Amino acid sequence: MAEVETIELVKDIDVDKYKYGFTTDIEAEFAPKGLSEDTVRFISKKKNEPGWMLEARLETYRRWLTMEEPTWARVDYPRIDFQDIYYYAAPKGVSAPKSLDEVDPKLLETYAKLGIPLKEQEILAGVRKQGERSELDEAGGEYASGKVAVDAVFDSVSVVTTFKAELAKAGVIFCSISEALREHPDLVKKYLFSVVPQTDNYYAALNSAVFSDGSFVYVPPGVRCPMELSTYFRMNAKNTGQFERTLIIADKGSYVSYLEGCTAPMREESQLHAAVVELVALDDAEIKYSTVQNWYPGDAEGKGGVYNFVTKRGDCRGSRSKISWTQVETGSAITWKYPSCILRGDDSRGEFYSIAISNGRQQVDSGTKMIHLGRNTSSRIISKGIAAGRSENTYRGLVSAHRKAINSRNFTQCDSLLIGDKCGAHTVPYIESKTSTAQFEHEATTSKISDDQMFYCMSRGLSQEEAVALIVNGFVRDVLQQLPMEFMAETQKLIGISLEGSVG
Amino acid sequence: MNALPVRTEAEQALGFDLPHRRMEEWRWTDLRQLVDRPYPPRQKEVAAAGDVERLLASSLFRNVAATRMVFVNGEYDAAHSRMANGWVESRIPMEDPLVRLNTSFATDGARLKFEGNTDTPVELVFIATDAAPRMLATHNVIEVADNSSATLIETHLGAGTYLSSSITEIRVGHGARLDRVKSEIEAPGATHLAHADVTLAHSATLRDFTLTTGARVNRQNGTYRFAGEYADARVSGAYLLAGRQHADTRLVVDHQLANCVSRELFKCVLGEQARGIFQGKVIVRPGAQKTDGKQSSHALLLSGTAEFDAKPELEIYADDVACGHGATAGELNHDHLFYLKSRGIPEAEAKALLIAAFAGEAFETIHHDGLREALTAFAAHWLTQHRRAS
Repeated sequence: MAEVETIELVKDIDVDKYKYGFTTDIEAEFAPKGLSEDTVRFISKKKNEPGWMLEARLETYRRWLTMEEPTWARVDYPRIDFQDIYYYAAPKGVSAPKSLDEVDPKLLETYAKLGIPLKEQEILAGVRKQGERSELDEAGGEYASGKVAVDAVFDSVSVVTTFKAELAKAGVIFCSISEALREHPDLVKKYLFSVVPQTDNYYAALNSAVFSDGSFVYVPPGVRCPMELSTYFRMNAKNTGQFERTLIIADKGSYVSYLEGCTAPMREESQLHAAVVELVALDDAEIKYSTVQNWYPGDAEGKGGVYNFVTKRGDCRGSRSKISWTQVETGSAITWKYPSCILRGDDSRGEFYSIAISNGRQQVDSGTKMIHLGRNTSSRIISKGIAAGRSENTYRGLVSAHRKAINSRNFTQCDSLLIGDKCGAHTVPYIESKTSTAQFEHEATTSKISDDQMFYCMSRGLSQEEAVALIVNGFVRDVLQQLPMEFMAETQKLIGISLEGSVG
Repeated sequence: MNALPVRTEAEQALGFDLPHRRMEEWRWTDLRQLVDRPYPPRQKEVAAAGDVERLLASSLFRNVAATRMVFVNGEYDAAHSRMANGWVESRIPMEDPLVRLNTSFATDGARLKFEGNTDTPVELVFIATDAAPRMLATHNVIEVADNSSATLIETHLGAGTYLSSSITEIRVGHGARLDRVKSEIEAPGATHLAHADVTLAHSATLRDFTLTTGARVNRQNGTYRFAGEYADARVSGAYLLAGRQHADTRLVVDHQLANCVSRELFKCVLGEQARGIFQGKVIVRPGAQKTDGKQSSHALLLSGTAEFDAKPELEIYADDVACGHGATAGELNHDHLFYLKSRGIPEAEAKALLIAAFAGEAFETIHHDGLREALTAFAAHWLTQHRRAS
C-alpha cells in the first residue's frame, strides 16, 4: 500500500515538478546524424579552428574507436547507440557569441524563463534587487556589485557571454572555448588536455573528439576576478548530445569563482551529456568551482532523462594553490562524475563538497579523487548522499598519497540518508597511503530520518514534506555553506522540490 | 586492447588463470605477479618427527589448547593429534578463485561438529615442513550445533617456501556460539591464501579474530552470512608486518535478514616495506531492517616506505539501519610520544608501548583470557624483534 502511494507521489514530482522541462521552438542547424571523421571535421570547420585542433580531434577519435565503454560504475542503462545522436546542433544563425542586441529574442526568452540574467544591468533573478545591500557586502564580501558574468551555452554553441568588457578591464579573459581557440590559441594549446589527457577515459576521449563549446577563463597573475563567472548549459534539440569543454586557468596569485548550471527539456528519449572540465591553479592561485546540476531526471519509470557522464579534474600545479569543488546534483537519469584534484604543488589544497540527491529511478555514481603528490598537501571531502524513491546513490572516491607526499592530510566524511526502503545508498571509498607521514581519516555513516526528528518538526506545525525538507537541508548544511551566496537560497528550494513526494 | 595475457609459469602448472589487478577485488593483490613460481601438488612425503615437534612447539597456543588436531603437509597426523577427525559435509559455493584453487588440490582437513558446551579450546595446527616448493591445501568444515558453544584455534606454521591454501567453512547453529582465533605465522617464504565461509543461524554469536604476521604473501577472504535474525558477528584482526610482506584481507558481511549485528575491527601495524590492505564490504539487502553494521580499519605506518590501502565499502538497500565505517592511516602520534618521553620513558620503549596499545585494541575482542594473553605476549615479542623496523 505504502509502496503504491510512494510511486504515485514520485510520479507527481518527476513529471510535474521539473519546471525546466519546456522546449524552445527554435530552428536549429544540425551536423549529419552519427559519428565519423566527417562529423569531427564538420564541427571543427563550424568552429573555424586552427589546424592543430582538428588534428588533435581526429587523433582522439581514432583512439576512441579502440576504447571500451567503462562498466565499473554502479549504474545500469541500455547501450548507447553513438550513431543515433546529433553531435552538433546550433540555433540557426548562431555560430559564435554575439552582442546582446543581436541574440534571437526567443533565446533570451528561454534564459529569462530559466531565471538566468543575460542583460548586463540585471543581477540574478529572485535573489535580491540591484543596489540592495546584502549581508555579504557588509561582511566586506568581494562581490559587492552582485554582478554575475554568464556564458550561455545552448546545445552546441555559446550564444552570449556577458560582462566581457568589464572583465577585460581587469585582464580576465572569459569567453567561449571556440572563441578562445581563435583569439588565444597559445594559451589554449598550452593548457588544453594538460589536466585531462585526450584519451583519459572513454567519455573524455569522445568529448575531446567532438566537443563543441564551453567556457574558457584565464585570470592573470595577482588578479582577483571582480565578479562571479558562470556558465549556463541548456540542451534543447532532440536526439542531441552536448559535449562541452571548460578550461579555467588561474595564474599565480589569482582567484576566481565559477558556477555552472544545467537544465534540459523533458523528452522520452535519453540524451547524452559528456563534458570535460579542466582547472589549472598555478602558485598561490585559488579556483572555486560550483555546480548546480539539474538536468532532466527522467519520468517515474526511468524513461528519458539525461545521461551525465562527466570528467572534471583540477590540477593544483603551483605551490600553495587551492581548488575547491562544490556540487549539487539533483538532476540526470544517470550521473557518472568524479571531480578530482591533483595536489601536485607543495602545500596545495583540494576540497570537494557534494550533495547528491536521487529520486524516482535516478542512478548516481559520483565522488572524487584526491591525489596527493606534493609535500604538506591537504584535502577535505564532505559528501552527502540522499536517496529516495527507487533510486541508487553511490559515493565512489579515492584518496591517495604518493611516497613523496610528506605530511599530507585528508579528512573524508560521507553521509548517506535513505528515504524509503526501495532505494539504495552505497559507499565505495579507496584509500591508498604510501607514506607514514600521511594522515588519512575516513568516516561514513548511513541512516534514515529518525521518527523523533519528524515528530519534533511536525509537532511544531510543519507538514510532513516541510519537515523532510528542513531535516534534509540541515543534513546538507556543511555543503550548502560552500556555495556562493547567490545560489544558496535557490539550492535550498531545489532540494525541497527534488524530494517532494518522497515520504508516504 | 584486452587480449588475454600469456599464462605465467605458475598458471601453466595450475592449469587455470590466477586473479590479477585488473579484477576489482584483486586490485592491490596481483596473484599473477605475487605467485612467482609454480607450486606443484604435494607428493606423499614423510616429515621428520623432529621437524614436526619443533614447529608444533612454536604455536602460540601450545599451552592453552588441550585438544588439538595436527595436519602435517596437508595430511592428518594422528600421532601428534589429541582428537579424532570427524566428518561434516561441505557446502561451499565454488565461484571464488581461492576456493577453486583449494578444491583442485585439497588433500585433507578437519571435519568437526561441536555439540554441547566445550570449555577447552580446540586447536587445528597446519604444519608445512621444509621441502621443495609445493602446494599444500586443506579444507575444514566446522559446525557448531544448535545451542552449543566452542572455542576454535587455527594455527598455520611452517618452514621453507610453499603455497598454503586453506578453506574453513563454518556454520554456527541456532543460539550457538563460536569463538575462533586464527594465527597465521607461516614461514617467511610462504604464500598463504585462505578463505573463510561463515554462516550464522538465528541468534548465533561469532567472535572471529585473525592474527596476520607470517608469510611473504597473504590473502584472506572472509564471507559472513546471516541465515537467521538476531545473530551477532564480530570480526577482528591484527597485522604485524615488516620486511617486504604483503597482506590483504577482504571481508564481505552479508546482512540478508533483519535485526543482525556486525562489527569489524582491524588494526594494522606496518613496518619497513610492508604493504597492508583491508577491503571490507557490508551489504544490507532489501528488507534487512534494523541492521547494525559497523566497520573500522586503522593502519599505523612505522616507516616511510610502508603502504596501506583500504576499501571499506557499504552497499545498503534498507532504510532503517545504522551503518558506518571508519578508516585511518598515519604514523605514531607525536604528541603521545612526547608525553611518554617527557615522563622519562625512552623513545624506543615509548614507541613500543604505543604500538602495543594500538594493536591491543584488536586483541581485546578475544574472549578467552589464555588466548588473548598468548597473542599479546607474541605482539610484544614481535615488537622487540622489529624495533628497528620503526
